Amino acid sequence: MVQEVLRLQNLQKSFGSVRALKSASFTLNEGEVVALLGDNGAGKSTLIKAISGVFPVDRGDIYVRGQKVSIRSTRDAMDLGIETIHQDTSLAADLSIARNLFLGREPVNLKWLGVFAPLALAKLRNAASALLKRVGISKKLDADALVSTLSGGERQSIAISRAMQFAAKVIILDEPTNNLGVEETHGVLRFVKEVRDAGHSVLLITHNIHHVFQVADRIIVMRRGEIVAEQTVADTDLLTVESIITGADMSALLRETRTK
Amino acid sequence: MTIAAEEEMPGAKRRSSLIRSPQFSSLIILIVLLAVFAIADANFLSPLNISNMMAFLPELGIIALGMTLLLTAGEFDLSVGAVFGLAPVVVMLLVQNGEVSIGVALLAGLILCVAIGAINGLIVTKIGISSFLVTLSMLLVVRGAALYITQGFPLKSWDQPGFFVTLLAGSFNIGSFRFYTSLWWFVGLSLLAIYILRYAKLGNWISAIGSNRNAAVARGVPADAVKIWLFILTSVLAGLAGMISAFRISAASPVAGTGYELEVIAMVVVGGTALTGGRGTILGTIVGALMLRAIRNGIVLIGVPGLAYNIFVGVIILAMLILHALLQKNAARS
Repeated sequence: MVQEVLRLQNLQKSFGSVRALKSASFTLNEGEVVALLGDNGAGKSTLIKAISGVFPVDRGDIYVRGQKVSIRSTRDAMDLGIETIHQDTSLAADLSIARNLFLGREPVNLKWLGVFAPLALAKLRNAASALLKRVGISKKLDADALVSTLSGGERQSIAISRAMQFAAKVIILDEPTNNLGVEETHGVLRFVKEVRDAGHSVLLITHNIHHVFQVADRIIVMRRGEIVAEQTVADTDLLTVESIITGADMSALLRETRTK
Repeated sequence: MTIAAEEEMPGAKRRSSLIRSPQFSSLIILIVLLAVFAIADANFLSPLNISNMMAFLPELGIIALGMTLLLTAGEFDLSVGAVFGLAPVVVMLLVQNGEVSIGVALLAGLILCVAIGAINGLIVTKIGISSFLVTLSMLLVVRGAALYITQGFPLKSWDQPGFFVTLLAGSFNIGSFRFYTSLWWFVGLSLLAIYILRYAKLGNWISAIGSNRNAAVARGVPADAVKIWLFILTSVLAGLAGMISAFRISAASPVAGTGYELEVIAMVVVGGTALTGGRGTILGTIVGALMLRAIRNGIVLIGVPGLAYNIFVGVIILAMLILHALLQKNAARS
């Protein structure tokens, strides 16, 4: 039985006279990796920002587990179990791994002191170590190490672990493999599969179609602010998807160049 | 590698990271400087001279505490010297000319500081102009206001002892040393700042905002509100320091605190706080404040001509910063 986690219905968003998002509707199911593809300016980031609460939509509805919700801030999105991980903007490099993992949700003593409450440092450290162990990167990483000492791939893994930590229903990955080496890219993709197997749903935004075919279950293609195609990975191939993205018939183009 | 060696690793690592930390190298240099001055002139460590240094230290040191937190969050405030001048001028004017009690006048002065800090913070965060430009303009506005309301003249001296005056500028003797209550203010506020930056939830937010604002905001940290409050705090501390100074000498001058903004920023970065945000250390700032105070005092004592002494101050600060940069590079390489 497929369980629906997130459903978007006819989302629209304009910036002045620019209709960045004309209409977007799709459904994300439990334990599924859906890739969101599209050229620059196709409306991917607008859609992601709307779901993660960066700005409100003009029109349209968002449902989480069948419940209609209103997302007005990033906090709202997080509270609903939607965690977004942006390339390079998800971690504070000068803070330790442990402090990053709990940033904004720090365990504290004497809660009544508000922002002046002392961090529960032992608890913070233990929880961070346990989390690192659970996601299988504890051998190399110390919870007290500064994020600035980590590689790009390790940082992505930390950011994704943090999203899992807070039992996120939906994890949105915005270009998670940009600027990563081959080895690290494979590490992150493997991690995405583990995240899915742990029951989380992943919305993956990327430019790299090869990565999509390695991890995604379904592909959604956007062009000029609209969703123009939705296919399961098993039912399609690289060339078809590429031609949908660009709007040109790539397989026909390829045939042409071959015959020449 | 043996198991025993592996077990020793964390302790050794912690020790070497402490030695490589910027506040530690600053502390070493401070000790060297103090030793050099003490050897060059025996009067440097005399009770009178130490008492003198300790009288001046808190006044800039208190501002430096606020500046450290603000810099760690990625902003800075050039208007602190002007606020240091304006706040006591307003307080003394109210006391001398109005029918206002000293307590009410002090409260009015602090509210003025809150307003200046809030305006700085609101413009920086809500309109998105860099804090350099906003607070530079505020420096001119505040200094100009102090000059205008006093017509450029120092106020006539005001010397009526009372609870508030004792609270801000009382003095006491320990042996042959004479200390002011301002030292207690500095100690207390330092402990509070250390607690906030290192152990409180707020400190985690401040460092995160300065390190990567977008990341902090994405985790639901109210970055703008935190910055606005830090601007207010810095302004209030600058005003408080100005009042302490004015009551200690029983007079307020509209040009008091001129150039303090740069001296305070120098104290903070010499202590090891990053000018670019994210990494702040209160202990380093205390060392930095002591160091600049000792340099100013020491080079006069050892006979450097008064007009030349800024050259020495500048060179020593530059040397400190070069040292920090080299240490940073080494740490990154290892």
